[in-house]
Amino acid sequence: MTFNDRIFGVLMIVLAVAYGWGATQLPEPFGGSEAVGPETFPLLLSVVLALSSLYLIVRPDPDNAWPWSRTGIELVIAVVVLVLYAMLLQPLGFIISTALAVGTLCWRMGARPPRAYLVGAVSGLVVYLVFNFALDLALPLGLLSFLEVS
Amino acid sequence: METLGYLIDGFGVALAPHNLMFALMGAFLGTLIGALPGLGPANGVAILIPLAFTLGLAPETALIMLTAVYAGAMYGGRISSILLNIPGDEPAMMTCLDGYPMAQQGKAAEALAISAVASFIGSLVATIGLILLAPLLADFALTFGPAEYFALFLLAFATLGGITGKNPMKTVVAAAIGLMIATVGIDNTGVQRFTFGVLELYEGVDFIIAIVGLFAISELLFFIEERAGGGKEKMVVNKLKLSWADIRAILPSSLRGGVLGFIAGVLPGAGASLGSFIGYTLEKKVVGKKGYFGQGDPRGVAGPEAGNNGASSGALVPMLTLGVPGSGTTAVLLALLISLNITPGPLMFTQHADVVWGVIAALLIGNFLLLVLNIPLVGIFVKLLSVPPMYLLPVVTMIAFVGIYSISNTTFDLYFMVAFGVGGYVLRKLEIPLVPVILGLLLGPEMEKNLRHAMDISDGDWTILWDSGLAIGLWVFAGLGLILPYLIGPILRRRMTVATGTGNPEGD
Repeated sequence: MTFNDRIFGVLMIVLAVAYGWGATQLPEPFGGSEAVGPETFPLLLSVVLALSSLYLIVRPDPDNAWPWSRTGIELVIAVVVLVLYAMLLQPLGFIISTALAVGTLCWRMGARPPRAYLVGAVSGLVVYLVFNFALDLALPLGLLSFLEVS
Repeated sequence: METLGYLIDGFGVALAPHNLMFALMGAFLGTLIGALPGLGPANGVAILIPLAFTLGLAPETALIMLTAVYAGAMYGGRISSILLNIPGDEPAMMTCLDGYPMAQQGKAAEALAISAVASFIGSLVATIGLILLAPLLADFALTFGPAEYFALFLLAFATLGGITGKNPMKTVVAAAIGLMIATVGIDNTGVQRFTFGVLELYEGVDFIIAIVGLFAISELLFFIEERAGGGKEKMVVNKLKLSWADIRAILPSSLRGGVLGFIAGVLPGAGASLGSFIGYTLEKKVVGKKGYFGQGDPRGVAGPEAGNNGASSGALVPMLTLGVPGSGTTAVLLALLISLNITPGPLMFTQHADVVWGVIAALLIGNFLLLVLNIPLVGIFVKLLSVPPMYLLPVVTMIAFVGIYSISNTTFDLYFMVAFGVGGYVLRKLEIPLVPVILGLLLGPEMEKNLRHAMDISDGDWTILWDSGLAIGLWVFAGLGLILPYLIGPILRRRMTVATGTGNPEGD
């Protein structure tokens, strides 16, 4: 099967065309046009990308299997956990969000839940203490901010 | 003689107590990272870069620490090769061949000690090579004009896939993607390009975020998919019985390996994998029938280990002198330099002599530290190897989050990092190399600037790009870099596959 490279190649050609078109729409810089304007280099790149993507479509490599099914779901879970981690870092605070994120990741990777969340909590706490006290960099405390010693 | 003076100054920088401390820390962390299967030197350095920033280290200190991480990771790769028969990274593959049999024969400690000594000698030889060659190359590079630089950047991309790389066209695709990302932001004429009005994009895409996402996050996703590891058989490390005679026996192998590795490292596109491969093959040729390679011959451990470490120091030569990295890890180090506002290249040797020579001196010191760390402390690394990756990788990912977050204290960067991680996963699945993407991000602005200067000089005449003999030479080499993998690559890969008995030959 050689679908991966072909599909990717088509997508990249679309990108190259869109990017190249975008480059032609760039405004002329202040002070008039030069030999190399802001659009020259991007235009070169769009040609290079289009040609090399065309090659992928014509001469694709054999496919690597994609992890559909269960593993795919695990991957989606991992990405969702990472996005939620980023979202909750400030409101929940570093320690709680780290405990949840690292714990969930460990658990989904096969650790037993109690141990997974324990590892998450301990690592979050240790990193927090190291950053805040040894390195003097403030990580958000969030919900735990009542513990803050001023 | 001038070099010697600079080197002595360099030692002054590197021996400052705090620099020494960070070198030690880097060496320890690096060994650890290298020893863990799945985390190679590039990932290790990538994860620790944001940390170096948040620590607010001085440029030379940050660079010294991360060079030590780099050297340490090259050392550490061998530990899991010998004990578990799992190479920590690709260059450590050849060490499995004789290292693991030695461990099976109850000589794990000897194998570890021999590989540490060989790594040390290999690095030492290569560092001396670096000291001799780098200033010469830097002087030579001073004659480069913008056109030559533009061609040099092309050469860097063309050879980055390496002669063992699979599909050079994919390197081109990757480079184009990286360069395109680099054009995001306000260009030097003040025009906004591809920012879509998003304020965070005005200054362009921060390559530290891209690097950490591409390397660290995609590694996590790959691990989830493969679920490698878990319950590995633990090797018992015996008590060390190593005599001077044993060390003397591997000395020639280590020296040969170091020299070969250094050459492989300096040449663009060759790299550490090739260094350890030719280090091993040469040993087999030189020793001939007297050896018992593949059954635990110490020379089969020493040759490739010296080659591997020699190559990693050798790869610093083009990175420091030309600003063109020869490997993935040196590309990451280059990112560090650029973000410290130091432009690598020939001028660095005059403008930032203290940094360059401090790093070179630190490399020498780092090797001594690693040797001292590695022989008595090897037991600690072995213990740490038994930490299951299912706990380790989430914690490593979290550290990447902390590092990125503490650079700017905004969560926008974190989303960006995750997006790069997913993108990196997809690219790796398609076997599109990530290093050219990073290099594109790094070199894009410089490349465009040089193109612009060249055109200004010639008044818009494109032929200036191949006007000088030097430029033509660089173009020719760049062309060769793209064509050679098609011709030599399959043969070389087949040989490596046959030699190590790993991988799938039909996948080539």
